[in-house]
Amino acid sequence: MHMNRLAVAALAVALVAGCSGGAPESGARDSAAPSSAPTEKVELTYWNWVPGMEKVVAAWNAANPNIKVTSSTQAGGDDAATKFLTAAKAGNPPDLIQAEYQALPSFVAAEAVADIKAQADPVKAEFGDGIWGLVTLGTDAVYGIPQDSGPMLFYYRADLFKKYGIAVPKTWDEYAEAARTVHQKDPKVFLGTFSSKDPGSFAGLAQQAGAQWWSISGDAWKVAIDDEPSRKLADYWGGLVKEGVIDDMPYFTPEWNKALNDGKLLTWPSAIWAPGPLASNAPKSKGKWEIAQLPQWNAGENHSGFWGGSSVAVAAGSKHKEAAAKFAAWLNTDPEALALLVKEGAVYPAATKGTSLLTEAPEYFSNVPDFWKQAAEYGAGARGFTFGPNVNVAYNSFKDAFDKAALNKSSFGDALKTIHDATVADMTKSGFRLAQ
Amino acid sequence: MNPRARGSLAPYLLLAPAVTLFTLFMAVPIGYTVYLSLRRTLVSGLGLGKGSRKEVFVGLDNYAAAVGDGELWMGWLRVFGYAALVLAVMLGLALVFALMLDTARVRLARFSRIAIYLPYAVPGVAASLMWGFLYLPSLSPFDALFGVDLLGQSAVTYSMANIAVWGGTGFNMLVLYTNLRAVPQDLYQAARIDGASELQIALRVKIPILVPGIILTTVFSIIATVQVFTEPTALRPLTNTLSSTWSPLMKVYRDAFVTGDLYSAAATAMVIAGISVVLSFGFLRVVRNRAFGEA
Amino acid sequence: MATSTARSSHRANGSRRPLGLVPTGVLLLGAVYCLFPVSWVVVAATKTSGELFSTSTFALGTGFFQNLADLAAYREGVFWMWMLNTLLYAGGGALLATAIAAVSGYTLAKYRFAGRDLIFNLLIGGILVPAVVLAIPQYLLFAKVGLADTYWSVLLPQLLSPYSIYLARVYAGAAIPDALLEAGRIDGASHWTLLTRVAMPLMGPGLVTIFLFQFVAIWNNFLLPFIMLGDDGKFPLTVGLYTMLAAGANNPSLYNLILIGTFLALIPLIALFLTMQRFWRTDLSGGAVKA
Repeated sequence: MHMNRLAVAALAVALVAGCSGGAPESGARDSAAPSSAPTEKVELTYWNWVPGMEKVVAAWNAANPNIKVTSSTQAGGDDAATKFLTAAKAGNPPDLIQAEYQALPSFVAAEAVADIKAQADPVKAEFGDGIWGLVTLGTDAVYGIPQDSGPMLFYYRADLFKKYGIAVPKTWDEYAEAARTVHQKDPKVFLGTFSSKDPGSFAGLAQQAGAQWWSISGDAWKVAIDDEPSRKLADYWGGLVKEGVIDDMPYFTPEWNKALNDGKLLTWPSAIWAPGPLASNAPKSKGKWEIAQLPQWNAGENHSGFWGGSSVAVAAGSKHKEAAAKFAAWLNTDPEALALLVKEGAVYPAATKGTSLLTEAPEYFSNVPDFWKQAAEYGAGARGFTFGPNVNVAYNSFKDAFDKAALNKSSFGDALKTIHDATVADMTKSGFRLAQ
Repeated sequence: MNPRARGSLAPYLLLAPAVTLFTLFMAVPIGYTVYLSLRRTLVSGLGLGKGSRKEVFVGLDNYAAAVGDGELWMGWLRVFGYAALVLAVMLGLALVFALMLDTARVRLARFSRIAIYLPYAVPGVAASLMWGFLYLPSLSPFDALFGVDLLGQSAVTYSMANIAVWGGTGFNMLVLYTNLRAVPQDLYQAARIDGASELQIALRVKIPILVPGIILTTVFSIIATVQVFTEPTALRPLTNTLSSTWSPLMKVYRDAFVTGDLYSAAATAMVIAGISVVLSFGFLRVVRNRAFGEA
Repeated sequence: MATSTARSSHRANGSRRPLGLVPTGVLLLGAVYCLFPVSWVVVAATKTSGELFSTSTFALGTGFFQNLADLAAYREGVFWMWMLNTLLYAGGGALLATAIAAVSGYTLAKYRFAGRDLIFNLLIGGILVPAVVLAIPQYLLFAKVGLADTYWSVLLPQLLSPYSIYLARVYAGAAIPDALLEAGRIDGASHWTLLTRVAMPLMGPGLVTIFLFQFVAIWNNFLLPFIMLGDDGKFPLTVGLYTMLAAGANNPSLYNLILIGTFLALIPLIALFLTMQRFWRTDLSGGAVKA
């Protein structure tokens, strides 16, 4: 029943906003008639950080003279979310925004994005259930159209694996063993590193382990950041860091780039978008990397998680929500748009048919001609979880807690508990109803 | 001293632009910040959907939380140690450089002046990358020289202080130098004719003239250093020794820009402002009579 | 040659001359200390993205012109647009801010009137509240009057600089003799004439300093334009370069473009500095006292 109330409320938002805007576009009610294209010209602004988005938008503008979209390239990351929330609060938001999956719930909670169910439902079939869940948050509403996703795989230096005589680890136990072997053979070389600055990566690995950090139970949130799978994961990495067989340098620093270039780091459990960063950060090791399935917790399983990925959402304060939603749906499901996204933006499309557009391996992986086929196979077992309304708090706490744990070589399990407590405390303070 | 413009409107008219700008872009936003610091959002239920989130008045709750936050006080302790170091070195160097620039016989003064000021011109966007290359163990040309991890727990405060000194010396140097240039040169000429050496002129003539300038540079530097933010923020992505609440202003930034709690950020910012007032007035009280010598 | 004169006179008069070498030496040391990290930016701008993380930190690279070409081609030359925007913000902003600071500083230093100290303390007190926390309220207020995401939203809040007003007051106090103003007044000069003909020229060197500070401060300001602007065509360099750095986790950071961009951004500042610093040489105040 509660869900219905949500949907009704969202419809009310759309109607109120439509009236106050005084625009010919009339909100959710008319959208039932699919071809009610606004006759008056509308202009939409779209904040995103997809490389080459101007070209995709140009294709839309050419075909839709009445709905002119302007793409504005923004900085991605945490402060992009803050910037959008501030703009929304001031009543001055762009019509469309790129919303990372973990940020979307906070946008919804701040009433900054609109329910676009009417325009989204027709394209629902284009996406897998797991991805779709990330834009509905498990409610009846739809808060965005999925754009890209980041199923995780295992990247490794094939040449150096040979050199150090190690096999591709099938399980995390084998990974730990390989870490010891490598570090013993050359104390300057590590199999991998634990990054205390990348909660997204840890969350992906937690998803692989079967964690459910947030979930909705009835009309209350359930938070379980220190659930059993996550704790197992934390203790595993904590043990390796303490033992000294895994490095603790953060990802995406000049030092990490250098280590990758110099062959001092042999693996990176990362997402399907890794060829981009690898090509720019470790150009010297081009053609030496190969991919495999993430190591599993139990031999024979096929699980993975998601790291990154985003959707396109329509601002609740937009005067042209229907037109904006139409564009968002086109952008992420139309074959022409998808082809451009793949080509210009190096996007790994969330739409299932998008994967078939990926034929030629990334240049960096020219040594793996069937890169996309392999990647799709390894990523097929990826499972996600619902993100809560204060992922930003949890992620910030992650960095502080794991920085400290990595520095002092103290318990990673305790660090996880710190994050859980900080997240729960923040939700309690804000007044969210929490399930016990 | 005179321009006693009896009841004249002139000074008010001349100050009107500044006062108008101050009112619009400082006073009103500050007032709004104070207002925000007394409020916070309250969510009901799942927090999804219309009307589930409203802003409520909470009195001084945010202030109580800011003052009662142990981490914030740890931040103050860290910042005071750091500030003492930065202020002493930066202002000392700035004074020495300014006096030397102003000596009669210095060569290459123009080159040195621009070189010492140039760090101020490096945009913060590149700072993290740049210091990464200069500090990170596998990249730093100094790693072998000092034999310590410059971003390790023992050295990181000094590494940050170095960034602040590097970036701020030129600015303060120019303030003091310009201050010296505004002094009639006859004073020095007279001293020279009396046979005073450049060092004696510097110590006996220039420094006393500079005292008000030095005092106010110090006050401004105290305020800026207490609000330290840029340096730890640039280094934080590179090391696990700096938390997101290393300094009080970092906590403000985190609340306002990362976790989206503008209300706590506003309250903490007011606490920072209060402490800045106490420190700068405390300092001024100590050196009181010399500060506004010119007025 | 100047050098030889200095040396010979050093020999001739030992008790005074060594100071000519000591200050030069100390200042050069300071210059080296300050230039060293900056020189890294220059070196790094010459490296290709491959060389950046694989060659030695201070080894020159081979990619300078390629980087330049890539930057010029990046999103159809948007970098030059950012450069122009920045020149507009910094140039216009610094000019107006300096004028406002000069007039205010002069007034506060040279007029006696009710509320002077109050006004001064208020204007200066602005720096006590960190800019980090003011940016969002400023944005909300600008949005309210419909000026968010305009050039004005970046320009206007930066016109008032407490530090500059304080400096202008100090400079005015030191450089403008009261006697001169008094004389002018007796001659029947208006307030405006005294301001523009007497006070401003005397404050020259100080105003140059203030202008430089303001220019660089606005040039490098990140937070205010970041919050105020949504349209990437109005971005200044700092915000533009940041979009290249924070391109989201799944996109590569364009390090070599950022570095060449940073390098190019230094050039106008150095040029400005070189042109402005000749004003310091003219010793206006000295002449004034003699007058």
